[in-house]
Amino acid sequence: MLCEKCQQNEVAVHLTDIAAGIKKKYQLCKECAAAGGVSIHAQLKKHKKFTLTEFYGASHPESRSDQDPIADPTCSECGMRYSLFRKEGKFGCSHDYQEFRSDLDDLLEKFHASSQHRGRAPGRFRQQVSRQIQLDQLRDELTQAVTNEQFEEAAKIRDQMRLLESHS
Amino acid sequence: MSSESPKPFVGEWLAGEGKDPDLVISSRVRLARNLPGIPFSTLADDSHRKQVADLIGSALEELRPDLQLNSKNLDDLDSIDRQVLVERHLVSRELALGSGPRIVSYDDSEAISLMGNEEDHLRIQVVNSGYCLDEAWQQMDQLERSLDGQLQFAFDQQYGYLTACPTNTGTGLRVSVMLHLPALVITGQIEEVTRAATKIHLAVRGLFGEGTEAQGDFFQISNQRTLGLSEQEILSDIASVLPKILSYERKLREELLESKRDWIEDRIGRSFGILSHAKLITSQEGLEHLSLVRLGVCMGLLGNLTLEQVNRMFLFSQPGHLQANEGRKMSSDERDNKRAEVLAGILQEN
Repeated sequence: MLCEKCQQNEVAVHLTDIAAGIKKKYQLCKECAAAGGVSIHAQLKKHKKFTLTEFYGASHPESRSDQDPIADPTCSECGMRYSLFRKEGKFGCSHDYQEFRSDLDDLLEKFHASSQHRGRAPGRFRQQVSRQIQLDQLRDELTQAVTNEQFEEAAKIRDQMRLLESHS
Repeated sequence: MSSESPKPFVGEWLAGEGKDPDLVISSRVRLARNLPGIPFSTLADDSHRKQVADLIGSALEELRPDLQLNSKNLDDLDSIDRQVLVERHLVSRELALGSGPRIVSYDDSEAISLMGNEEDHLRIQVVNSGYCLDEAWQQMDQLERSLDGQLQFAFDQQYGYLTACPTNTGTGLRVSVMLHLPALVITGQIEEVTRAATKIHLAVRGLFGEGTEAQGDFFQISNQRTLGLSEQEILSDIASVLPKILSYERKLREELLESKRDWIEDRIGRSFGILSHAKLITSQEGLEHLSLVRLGVCMGLLGNLTLEQVNRMFLFSQPGHLQANEGRKMSSDERDNKRAEVLAGILQEN
């Protein structure tokens, strides 16, 4: 099956978008999905909420939401509103974390004094998470080495970090 | 009508064995996990709950024969049987009172239990007798890894395991120890322990965890933070404070024996007498006297009575167990009468 956006490459990603109560499915190739992903992150920062409608532009006008996404972000999968989450203290589904990301860090910092997981990870994420933990440790060691003016040691740590980063 | 009698023995966590069983009744680790693409309990309908129950059921089937679990749907049990499961700490009150497909699976020793469709899709717990958090975590580590092969858990590289409540986000790990601290209560020092624990972000709660008051000098101490710390760090936080609490309690017990021996022996003896001869005992009164009798056993003041017997008295005098043993619902007065009979019966074993 060919990607419905570029009509050239084979489909590699199946995406579901729910907006204004309407569910749309998209079949995309890796490149188009990746392009959408970049755009998703950019849009998240800008608007706090992003649906594939924006990725597709005006070609899917039926999925335009009437709600103001900036005032009260809403999860595109379960419909949970951010305001209701804050009132009840419970998420509606695991996708809420993605949708409310820009507001969550402060909330989690308040309760846990951190917004970065440092524990175990499922098998499918283990390698990436372990690499990130190593990088965080090395970064701390690098800062320490520079503070102590141990520049040879700092150069060694920097090389280790580059090696780790090149594997990501 | 109750469908079955509770097992005539206590679960592994009440065996009165392990390290420091005089002060630490049990050590528990609990993990919260969820499945992506299915709403949490706040928004889930019965079809979602059934989907979760089926997925968990299939995953547990795959773990056989290495792990043999008894699985039950809470909706198939009457209110007494559900209460028995709460009293045996196999399910939470929330799961017992919920609606729709909800499952509990536990092994024969009742050390391992899993709840499906609680606040999170899956809650896994390992509880052992005495102070043995490391061992409990090792069991949990193995079990969770096996399940990770069967189920895909909702996870985010920044936030870790994604849970229904942000207070569990990250590791989803709650580590708790259930302590018996009568000397700290008698001498009025317990407030100090509570304050010190809270200062390092540990919570002090009652017997049945969240939202319950401490009763009969029994307390649960658990971690509050689940994000930003590794599992080992969370375990270490509890391990760092626990020896101080235990040695404080021991020191106060010694002081009581040295400076107020007659007074403490009198209190313990009176409680023993009431539990041996009373005809009506309420749940609250039973807990208070059991606490002192337990202290008497640990101080070597009550002959051959063992911690296992005291723990059994504690469990079998609870309302669900009393009614399940009778096979019917009982009024409060009937329960008080039966409770007195059960407690005296165990004391007469020696």
